Amino acid sequence: MYNIRKITDDLYFVGGNDHRLELFENMFPIPDGVSYNSYLLMDEKTVLIDSVDWAITRDYLRKIEIVLDGRDLDYMLIHHMEPDHCGAIEEVCLRYPKLSIISSEQAFDIMRQIGYDIPEDRLIKVKEGDTMSFGKHTFAFVEAPMVHWPEVIMSFDTYDGTLFSSDGFGSFGAIDGKMFADEVDFERDWLDEARRYYTNIVGKYGPFVQDVLKKASGLPIQRICPLHGLVWRENLGYILEKYDKWSSYEPEAHGVLIVYATMYGNTENASQELANDIVQKGVKDVKVYDVSSTPVSQLIAESFKYSHIVIACVTYNLGIYPPMKNFLMDMQALNLQNRTIGIVENGTWACNVGDLIEEFFDEEMKLMDVLSDRVTINTSLNIGNRNDMDALADSIVESVNNLKELKAKQG
Amino acid sequence: MLYQTTKDHESLRQAIREFAENEIKPIAFALDQNNEFPDEIVKKIGENNWMGLPYSKKDGGAGLDVISYAIAVEELSRVDGGVGVILSAHTSLGAYPVEAYGTKEQKEKYLVPMAKGEKIGAFGLTETEAGSDASGTQTTAILEGDHYILNGSKIFITNAPKADIYIVFAVTTPDIGTHGISAFIVEKGWEGFTFSDPYDKLGIRSSTTAELHFNNVKVPKENLLGQEGQGFRIAMQTLDGGRIGIAAQALGIAQGAYEAALKYARERIQFGRPIAQQQSIAFKISDMATQLRAARFLVYSAAEMKHNELRYSVEAAMAKQYASDVCMKIVDDALQIHGGSGYMKGMDVERFYRDAKITTIYEGTNEIQRLVISANLIGRMPKSKKSAGGVAAKKAEPITGVRKREMIQTDTAQEAVDILVENLKKDGFDFTVGIDLNTPIVDSDRVVSVGKGIGSEDNMELAKQLAHAAGASIGASRPVAESMYLLPLERYIGMSGQKFKGNLYIALGISGAVQHLKGIKDAGTIVAINNNPGSAIFKNCDYGIVGDLNEIMPLLIEAFGTEEKKPAPPMKRIRKAKPRKLAPAYGVYVCTGCGYEYDPELGDPEGEIDPGLTFENLPDNWECPECQTVKADFIEEKYPADRQ
Ligand SMILES: Cc1cc2nc3c(=O)[nH]c(=O)nc-3n(C[C@H](O)[C@H](O)[C@H](O)COP(=O)(O)OP(=O)(O)OC[C@H]3O[C@@H](n4cnc5c(N)ncnc54)[C@H](O)[C@@H]3O)c2cc1C
Ligand SMILES: Cc1cc2nc3c(=O)[nH]c(=O)nc-3n(C[C@H](O)[C@H](O)[C@H](O)COP(=O)(O)O)c2cc1C
Ligand SMILES: [Fe+2]
Ligand SMILES: [Fe+2]
Repeated sequence: MYNIRKITDDLYFVGGNDHRLELFENMFPIPDGVSYNSYLLMDEKTVLIDSVDWAITRDYLRKIEIVLDGRDLDYMLIHHMEPDHCGAIEEVCLRYPKLSIISSEQAFDIMRQIGYDIPEDRLIKVKEGDTMSFGKHTFAFVEAPMVHWPEVIMSFDTYDGTLFSSDGFGSFGAIDGKMFADEVDFERDWLDEARRYYTNIVGKYGPFVQDVLKKASGLPIQRICPLHGLVWRENLGYILEKYDKWSSYEPEAHGVLIVYATMYGNTENASQELANDIVQKGVKDVKVYDVSSTPVSQLIAESFKYSHIVIACVTYNLGIYPPMKNFLMDMQALNLQNRTIGIVENGTWACNVGDLIEEFFDEEMKLMDVLSDRVTINTSLNIGNRNDMDALADSIVESVNNLKELKAKQG
Repeated sequence: MLYQTTKDHESLRQAIREFAENEIKPIAFALDQNNEFPDEIVKKIGENNWMGLPYSKKDGGAGLDVISYAIAVEELSRVDGGVGVILSAHTSLGAYPVEAYGTKEQKEKYLVPMAKGEKIGAFGLTETEAGSDASGTQTTAILEGDHYILNGSKIFITNAPKADIYIVFAVTTPDIGTHGISAFIVEKGWEGFTFSDPYDKLGIRSSTTAELHFNNVKVPKENLLGQEGQGFRIAMQTLDGGRIGIAAQALGIAQGAYEAALKYARERIQFGRPIAQQQSIAFKISDMATQLRAARFLVYSAAEMKHNELRYSVEAAMAKQYASDVCMKIVDDALQIHGGSGYMKGMDVERFYRDAKITTIYEGTNEIQRLVISANLIGRMPKSKKSAGGVAAKKAEPITGVRKREMIQTDTAQEAVDILVENLKKDGFDFTVGIDLNTPIVDSDRVVSVGKGIGSEDNMELAKQLAHAAGASIGASRPVAESMYLLPLERYIGMSGQKFKGNLYIALGISGAVQHLKGIKDAGTIVAINNNPGSAIFKNCDYGIVGDLNEIMPLLIEAFGTEEKKPAPPMKRIRKAKPRKLAPAYGVYVCTGCGYEYDPELGDPEGEIDPGLTFENLPDNWECPECQTVKADFIEEKYPADRQ
């Protein structure tokens, strides 16, 4: 009852789902909701691991009470002081006045900024390398700066190999009764949302994730408990490999993402034509999106997935069509790199958007290779564009194949 | 820590020293006199397993460290600087790039025999126009099917023509400077690959140095080393290591000179006592020993850093520059101590004196080493990539790139036309062959193209005759097709139309709108004929004539010839794919306090850090400009292996 699930004999899931929130961070659409995960460790000491958003706090408090079953709460361990995880801190402290909070020094600074007034003697600061024992379970703390925020820590339960990974390994999507990644068809039903979550929320901070992955590679991890989404207890290599790829900006798929901006459909038509050509020339993994009607977060996730990106864009008052510009800026803000870019430009009287886009990739982003075969359309595709369309499709297909070959050579 | 070599290092030194004393010393003078490469000695060095000292046993090497290799070069050079550089050029210039960038197959085929000493390696970067500045490289490699076709020449190549395997640098993408350079493994004996006679040099005369000539040499695609565009990176990284070799060579030569001087100063008696007892001589000796010790530490330390995979290019530059500078001083003093005897052939110091000089020149002159070092310490002027307002500065170059822009100015149109045609013929155009008038633009080697200046439909006939005479197909600017309907849409040339990538483009009455010029930027030669001298086309052409089309066209037809043209050979189209970008050669670091990335290109103006200063060289007390996190808490970004 009460939606409580056991993770191990001593560890209970006391978090919950939010289906009413439309935009995560007031920006990312979450049609499938989101979960805020919190765990309760019942050892000689009782430890509440992280907390939840204010939105679901009423149920949350009830779950804690039920699991504690009369015992007092000794500690609250906070890995990440972002409001989606610390909304309930003050309330929990009021209800369990003996409890101490364990977190990083900077997390407490942020907590004070948020305005929680918790006496200094109830705060336990931990840093990299510190350990704390709660009975059977001893936690080792690992600093994970900038794995979303600077104050982030992770902790590793040395007794049973559970890694509490903070926002790392999280996902959009409410879990709705499921608890473990092995209870779902992850690749089919969850991977896209996990990617969209990672790339948009943490995507910019690849080097820091790499740093933590390096630390983690030395630990005998049995289980990963993130702050959003499902818990991992099987096939950990699968999700670790995904994270390695995303955080090192290596594409997952040798294929082509085409994103077009169109006002009257001509550029869309050219994009469809190009997709058609590319598929017929042998690269089958091609996705086409309209920049005006696709959430940017989805475009970002796809950009992290694919090795090749075609930007097909109309000239708009001598500039880049604003929604496309927005997408490009977001790509840059999230530090995406190491991709091959094709450009299709359209303009009716002074078509300059291709130059602007190429310059943006060359000057503002890292390791973005713009293919020199560009297609320039005057309003609508005509017979004269045939060669350029062929050349662009050929050069994309050749580049995809070269990359596959290069990767195969590297083994 | 104790700055000392290991016992293994010293026993290796002993073995090589014995070999050098016994086998090389007796013939060193003869090798020098006769400009002779010591084939037998090199063979024996290989048999002793010293030709691949720093390479793993799996790769055919001895599996030792970089210090061992430096000791080997040092000990050989102590007796004969020429033999020292044979080993150095072979190991760190010939074999290293294959070890660092080679595929499994390339390593098996080339590194293993080099490391075993069965094959000799060499490194071909320098050209007449590319000495200190490799961006002047003119040797080209053009991919045709399964092969690159290599053309051009290299000068001053150590171990040529004796070497079997050459790492050759050539341009695969023109016009983009060092980013367009790629590295190739080229074997001696391939058709079209020849050598000059070896040079007659001042010193290191037992080593051989010659030119490499490539005349349509077919290099199999699989002999591309690394990726296209990675060549400059490979060359620079190789030279970083090579500098350790040259520093060791300088160290060895100086050591030899020092020992000779010390011995001579003790033996030579003047004024009733050994000259060594004269303080001015004794002080020279003490300075020599001090400089040698300092140089040796620099060399071994750089070698140790390389072996431990730390960034070492600055330290290698310091070692090379310092060791060779003091080498010059030491050989000078050593010869001075020998007095007149030192000036005579047959004396080792005379040879050391001449051998020493090269070490301040090759693998980057000492001026270049100082450039490397100082740029690292000081940074440099900001790139004028962006002007103050953050607006990208316009490229100074014309749209079609750098062109000859030869304006033919004569008294009569006839003279101008004659000069033009003569020039084109000199450039290799054959007007007895031609293509069909309606050949698709992309497949056309030559195009005669008309702009609005053509006036009316009547002149179109003349233009077609001219196209025929020039052996070209016919094309137009956009308005001529789009609004004048003089040619079908698929025959207009421009950014949104056809791109011309052939060899000869004759623009008649075309003013040169930006979008048109973008369609011909890959044209081989552009000829512009227009009556307005201010037209943009003239800034974008190779040959230009200002004149009236009605007058010039008939003359041109006459000059090219109206006879039936023989079919032209198939056009060679060069695909100009830009090479992939590479990760920066310096370390990029990010702040754990806020995610800020330190970009050496920008420096940190508020922190008074000039652009160009690498993160490593920031002061230790430097802090993140965004959140004041200390330098030590930054972490380094990693880049994919295929972008290194
Ligand atoms: C015996 C010998 C063997 C060689 N072996 C090889 C080999 O195996 N492979 C290979 O590729 N090359 C080899 N080289 C070439 C050698 O590396 C070049 O000669 C060297 O890099 C200098 O180039 P350069 O001769 O064109 O001189 P330049 O570049 O023309 O320099 C002339 C002078 O100008 C100075 N100078 C140039 N630019 C600057 C600057 N920016 N700031 C200050 N001063 C500057 C130089 O320091 C020098 O004093 C060899 C040369 C010799 C003599
Ligand atoms: C509001 C607006 C502004 C435009 N600005 C430019 C411009 O500055 N330069 C240009 O060449 N075309 C301009 N265009 C034309 C478009 O770039 C494009 O050629 C045209 O909309 C056809 O493409 P589509 O059907 O994909 O929208 C503009 C069109 C609109 C509606
Ligand atoms: Fe977060
Ligand atoms: Fe979160």
